[in-house]
Amino acid sequence: MASVTISNVGKSFGAARVMQGVDVSIDDGEFVILVGPSGCGKSTLLRMVAGLETVTSGDIEIDGRRVNDLEPKDRDIAMVFQNYALYPQMTVAQNMGFALEIAGRPKAEIAAEVRKAADILSLTPLLARKPAQLSGGQRQRVAMGRAIVRHPKVFLFDEPLSNLDAKLRVQMRAEIKALHRRLGTTIIYVTHDQIEAMTMADKIVVLNGGRVEQIGAPLDLYDRPANLFVAGFIGSPAMNVLPAAPAGDALLVIDRFRLRRPDAATGTTLRYGIRPEDMLIGGEAAVEGIVEVIEPTGAETHLTLRIDEHVLTMVTKERPAVAAGDRLAVSLAPGRGHLFDAESGIRLAGC
Amino acid sequence: MSLFSQAFRPVGSTRADPVLVALWVALILVAVIWIAPFVFIVFTSLKTNTAVMGETAFALPTDPAFSNYAKAWARGNFSVTAFNGVLITFVKVPLGVFLSAMAAYALARVPMRGRRVLFLLCVFGTMIPFQVMLAPIFKQVNAFGLINSYPGIVLPYLAFGVPYQVFILYGFFSAVPKELSEAARIDGASHFTIFRRIFLPVSLPALSALFVLDFVATWNEFAMALVILQDPQKWTLPLGLMAFQSQFQRDYGQLNAAIVMTVLPAAIVYLMFQRYFVAGLTTGAVKE
Repeated sequence: MASVTISNVGKSFGAARVMQGVDVSIDDGEFVILVGPSGCGKSTLLRMVAGLETVTSGDIEIDGRRVNDLEPKDRDIAMVFQNYALYPQMTVAQNMGFALEIAGRPKAEIAAEVRKAADILSLTPLLARKPAQLSGGQRQRVAMGRAIVRHPKVFLFDEPLSNLDAKLRVQMRAEIKALHRRLGTTIIYVTHDQIEAMTMADKIVVLNGGRVEQIGAPLDLYDRPANLFVAGFIGSPAMNVLPAAPAGDALLVIDRFRLRRPDAATGTTLRYGIRPEDMLIGGEAAVEGIVEVIEPTGAETHLTLRIDEHVLTMVTKERPAVAAGDRLAVSLAPGRGHLFDAESGIRLAGC
Repeated sequence: MSLFSQAFRPVGSTRADPVLVALWVALILVAVIWIAPFVFIVFTSLKTNTAVMGETAFALPTDPAFSNYAKAWARGNFSVTAFNGVLITFVKVPLGVFLSAMAAYALARVPMRGRRVLFLLCVFGTMIPFQVMLAPIFKQVNAFGLINSYPGIVLPYLAFGVPYQVFILYGFFSAVPKELSEAARIDGASHFTIFRRIFLPVSLPALSALFVLDFVATWNEFAMALVILQDPQKWTLPLGLMAFQSQFQRDYGQLNAAIVMTVLPAAIVYLMFQRYFVAGLTTGAVKE
């Protein structure tokens, strides 16, 4: 187990600067998820921690030791790749024991470590098989087993569940979380799936365009997004973001909803954000919209509404008796909204 | 008949596909064209000179003249030429494939300056026909005092074989998922270990193909051997075949028996290695 400190890290590929000024501090035993859209630099950052990419500027420390110039094998890390990267000609047991074999450990010790890891991951009956004879989930477990046997200071996961089907992904999510609880090893995990990030992480790092947008606990990011990007990225369906303007003591959202104006709302170009589940059917000062799409998921119903030229999404536990084209009066849950500066995108206040 | 009618139908279809029919006809034609000379050679190797002159080329030998093989063995000095051929081929081919594989791995996977220039030099090497280099090579080998020696023939063979093999293997190694070598690097493997433990096994189909092609080419090589190996005690099998051709004497039966004995080892090696020509050895390595 170890802490990881990423200080002012930048990365350039030739003349193209893809990352700059990234600072992330990861505590011992923490499960940190790097999340962001494609091309935001999350995998590059993970690969820099692994030593598979050079660090153009800044420092990376593992357990207090600067590792910028160390080979991957000398960093005491283990990595699980998106496409498993299992050695095809080796059996499951050989794959899992390869690192120990390279390290010159005695055969008995390797066998014991492999058996222990196989027990943890329910791989014991598969130890003699080759990767081609395994399912996707089993291959991913072998990749995790290969990491576990080394007892590394830090586990690195690069989108490990992206290739699995939805059901298996949920199962593996739980398994990885249970594994973290059991081993207590520091984990840095890359994903573009914000559900994965929300459900697994102790701390989420949201990256965009090679910069850190926000770092925090999952629910902190959800409840208090630092800016419009995080607000839009975290949460599914995404937060509704609407134009707003102060009107005396009040705040007018799309000129229809009238809310109490927070003190911080001083500018003229504002954006009001509200989560789909914080929109209510009926309620005080409700505004009518036209229902465009109804998506019942069983547990809840997703509604797409149009109010003037604005499209809003709402999620309700109710099963409203409406059809596409019907009119429905909705309101905004007081105190559940967020006010952002339209230009900088920075969150000004709750609303 | 039903076997053929099945072959012409796509799976699940009741009608013959004209494209499949055309492909089958083309396949059979090509097979006949390729097998005909071999049948001709085998048949002729079992005929006396009289029978060769008096019968059609593809007539079955009525009274097989197996003695052609024994006579050809003695006349072609095969005990010497076969030994030389085996020695040269079994040193050159594995060594060449191994050197090429190491060079191709370095070019494909070891970050270094000038990698692209080195690769281009290798590609350039594949473009030089060795026939135009025979005279300079002779002078060079002579300058080293290696005429009529095994190193004198193995070194030029390596020089002309390696670029072509590097070119092929570079493409193959570049296509191996980079995550495999990255995972091995994290596991603590050195470049040589990654090459030996990961890339060589994964590349077995390509290496086998190169081994067979190189084996056949080296075994049958004539021009360079003729220039470098002038002492009959150092001759290889193709040079031994020269003993069967002269202005006043031609024994086609013995000549063809010698040809059969010459090509047989290459055919055996091909049959031994062709089972490794299975693609998809990397199945399961990474998610496709």
